[in-house]
Amino acid sequence: MALIKVRELRLDIPKEAKNLAEKMLSDLEKSKRPYLEAVKTSLDNSNYNSKVGYLTPGEKMVRTELNVSSVQKLARVVFMLEILLRNLDIGAVNTKRELYYICKGLIKGDGKYKPLDFEDQDESDGIIDFIGDMLEVYREELNCYANDRGGQTYSQQLVVTETLPDGDKANVDLSTLGTTPFQPKNRPQSLKLKAKKKIDFCLVVESEGTAGTLQSMGFTKRNNCILMGAQGVPSNGVRGWCKLIENQLDVPMYFFGDLDAYTMQNIFRTLKAGSAASLIRNGDFSAPNVRFLGVLPGDVKKYDLPHYKVKESDPAEARQLKKAKDALENDPFFRDKKNKELSDILRWLIKEKIRCEQQSYFSVDPRDPIKTEKIILEKIRRGDYV
Amino acid sequence: MSKITKSSTAEYFAKNLQQVGFSSPLKAVLTTLKEAVDNSLDACEGAEILPELEIEVKKVGIGSTKNTDLIKIVVEDNGPGIDADDLAKVFGEYLASSKFGRGQCSRGQQGIGISAATTWAQMTNAKGVQVISKTKSMKKAVSAQVDVDIKTNTGIVRNKTTLDWKKTNGTRVEFLMDGRIQMNGDGGLLTYIDGTVLVNPHLTVTHKMGDNEKTTVERVSNDSPEIPEATLPHPHTFKLGEFITHSHLYGKISLSKFLKTGFSRISDQSIKDFVKNGLPKNLVEKTITTMNEEDFKKAFQAVQATELMAPSTKSVLTVGEDSLSKSINRLGEVDFFSVMTRKPTICDFKPVVVEVALARFINRGSEGEPVQLLRFANRVPLQFDKSGCAITWAIESVNWKSYGLSQPKDSLPQGPYVFAVSIVSPFIKFKNASKETIDASDELVEEIRRALMQAGQKLSRHIKHEMKEADLERKLAHIEQFGPILVEKLVSISGANASRKKKAEEGLRKILGRDSDDAVNQLEEAQTKLAAQKQKEAKKMSSADEADKGSQ
Ligand SMILES: Nc1ncnc2c1ncn2[C@@H]1O[C@H](COP(=O)(O)OP(=O)(O)OP(=O)(O)O)[C@@H](O)[C@H]1O
Ligand SMILES: [Mg+2]
Repeated sequence: MALIKVRELRLDIPKEAKNLAEKMLSDLEKSKRPYLEAVKTSLDNSNYNSKVGYLTPGEKMVRTELNVSSVQKLARVVFMLEILLRNLDIGAVNTKRELYYICKGLIKGDGKYKPLDFEDQDESDGIIDFIGDMLEVYREELNCYANDRGGQTYSQQLVVTETLPDGDKANVDLSTLGTTPFQPKNRPQSLKLKAKKKIDFCLVVESEGTAGTLQSMGFTKRNNCILMGAQGVPSNGVRGWCKLIENQLDVPMYFFGDLDAYTMQNIFRTLKAGSAASLIRNGDFSAPNVRFLGVLPGDVKKYDLPHYKVKESDPAEARQLKKAKDALENDPFFRDKKNKELSDILRWLIKEKIRCEQQSYFSVDPRDPIKTEKIILEKIRRGDYV
Repeated sequence: MSKITKSSTAEYFAKNLQQVGFSSPLKAVLTTLKEAVDNSLDACEGAEILPELEIEVKKVGIGSTKNTDLIKIVVEDNGPGIDADDLAKVFGEYLASSKFGRGQCSRGQQGIGISAATTWAQMTNAKGVQVISKTKSMKKAVSAQVDVDIKTNTGIVRNKTTLDWKKTNGTRVEFLMDGRIQMNGDGGLLTYIDGTVLVNPHLTVTHKMGDNEKTTVERVSNDSPEIPEATLPHPHTFKLGEFITHSHLYGKISLSKFLKTGFSRISDQSIKDFVKNGLPKNLVEKTITTMNEEDFKKAFQAVQATELMAPSTKSVLTVGEDSLSKSINRLGEVDFFSVMTRKPTICDFKPVVVEVALARFINRGSEGEPVQLLRFANRVPLQFDKSGCAITWAIESVNWKSYGLSQPKDSLPQGPYVFAVSIVSPFIKFKNASKETIDASDELVEEIRRALMQAGQKLSRHIKHEMKEADLERKLAHIEQFGPILVEKLVSISGANASRKKKAEEGLRKILGRDSDDAVNQLEEAQTKLAAQKQKEAKKMSSADEADKGSQ
């Protein structure tokens, strides 16, 4: 069964894997220590160039050479690799959690595999990620998909054509869905987009609840737009979906979320430039043109938005502030001059120690049910975003 | 202190018993036991008798005050005994002591301890102490009840009789008082016994604590500790007030005579140096009873401004590494241990010696809990208020992780260990009158730290060896378990044939064999080092044995 490709992959995964096994085996035959190498996926190995638009891997590699301490990890890697290769061969698709149970089943069925057993899913997830980084392929290209999360989308103009695994096509006209959102599967790359009418902008809202509220108040009726809920930290599905919209429709994209360090670093930066953990895949899983519409520090004053003091006694909040300081020093995205206005927001947050939620717009004029929409439109019109 | 008249002394202490260890029902019991045992051990040592103690602590009823029980505390020794005429003074009079200000490393120092216990018993149960005592020269033992007359600070002897006693010499004290019994933990009775046993290798003790079974712990040394000669205090350890008080002990003598006889390290030359450093000449021969505070101040300042020889360290006594090594086995089944006796040294112008014993036990304590800390001052266990003590500070300042122990930040390390730290000095500075915590001067903490680190290094050889052993086992198991799977899967992915599989398996064995050889070598190296240390330790034990035989 031919699955829809995530990207035009130059790499033949089964062949690559076979070569790798061949190389390790022949090292062993010569009593040489075989090793595996993978891209180091961490901030200190991340590069950022605003022209590229997303975080890319540096030169650093993690090398796992065979010795008494690493033999367990290597055995686990080849064990999992064999399962993934078989999945590719027969066209089976699994989530990480399913793979965890598949491993457990195989291990239970054969006593000699017992030492490999995973204590929890984190352990098997780590092995899967390592294989992806090692072959420099996406997890999706190994037929491993995460559960769908986020990306609830509303529009009166957008038509999505999905190519199904069997080659059939399905057309979804989002205008026919009413208040029901369209949610892209975790393989947005298999979708083709078309605008029935010119779309003016795409608005990505951090809270999918708030996106739903805007929709039920008629947001997409009044505006030629795409309205989307991110549901917190964007999943691969959401990131790929935004990339697709950016590539195929060429509409300005705005992000609307909380004004706090977490949203700025974990949600917005990941949407715009990807993350350090997914260095090898940021190219297809980020939307570099997205702009930060709000909540902006200036909005707090301008609209007299209710806001809170960050409780530094709260360990989670204190951690966020500390992370924000780290980011200013070590995150190439925030250090880049082109993103100065974004890092200025972080600096402002560190200094003022306040946070303001996206829902605070609803308090500006409670008698006007579409005040939030009005503010958003006004901000877009006036270019009041970063 | 001399301002307190004899008659008000008892009243003062009766009102302030909490200051000398009677601040709670729990402490009252422990303090009484401690004072009685200290006295017995001091008395035996003074008479060069190997102590044999019998101790009983028992709940016998309900106390007269809220939340207390009526507790019976009995301590019987084989010491020299007390003359019948002295009973009133010893048990019923405060500040009556044969040890006061002697500058010896005895447990008792002040002449307060046992009278305070008598007072507590009297206050809570209307009866002081019941004593039986016999000296060698007495035909029959004397038995009496001694009370404290609080108004006059004199002892009252009641129901005095004579009796035939099983012992040729010795003393038995029995108290009935309000209190409560706690067995374990920092303030526990058994913790007290453990500590006392540890630092008194020459002690045989039979104890019956509460409902526990009667237990005898035999001595492991036949040497009665030699009490070093008394030493006079060094003048640089004094504050002005203490300096003046000290002079009151010497009556009508000249300042120069007082300085030369009341302190160590002051010679005729020193007196001349004092004058050079600002001591008015006319004061030198002035009688101290006629000196006013201004005079004392001048004298004191000149003394402080003059360099003097450091005090001698001869006056301190140690338990010794050999005896500690043997004694520690009396606390339970020892897995491994290390002991360290530092050379006597001077801290804050006072002679001190620090001894440390660290032991890992098989049957006491557990991995996740803090180590059990036993603190000693002049061989008396300190059981309260450990957080302010110099010993605790020193332990927490050492990085025990580097010796292979786990240790949360700025805390005691963890594991089934006993950490015993003993400070001996004729002039220990306590934080309070109840002698529970040692004042933490920088010099003293540093000295304790050094002792701990040396003991820690020795200990770590044992620990590292154990870790290497476990590590090697794990690694060898790894190779056997994961090697074949790795080859099998590589063969299956690459589609290789059986002969290649065999060859790869051989290669794998070679590679991992080298690794395990390395691990074995490392283990052997650790083993050799440890064996050398064990030999040293064994030598200590056997030389101690021989010394014992020699003295038998
Ligand atoms: N069991 C005993 N056998 C012989 N003599 C004793 C015994 N108990 C006490 N004494 C004598 O009684 C004196 C007073 O004892 P007490 O406990 O009051 O004072 P201390 O031990 O000198 O000092 P501290 O107050 O520090 O305990 C001791 O100095 C000692 O001479
Ligand atoms: Mg005493």
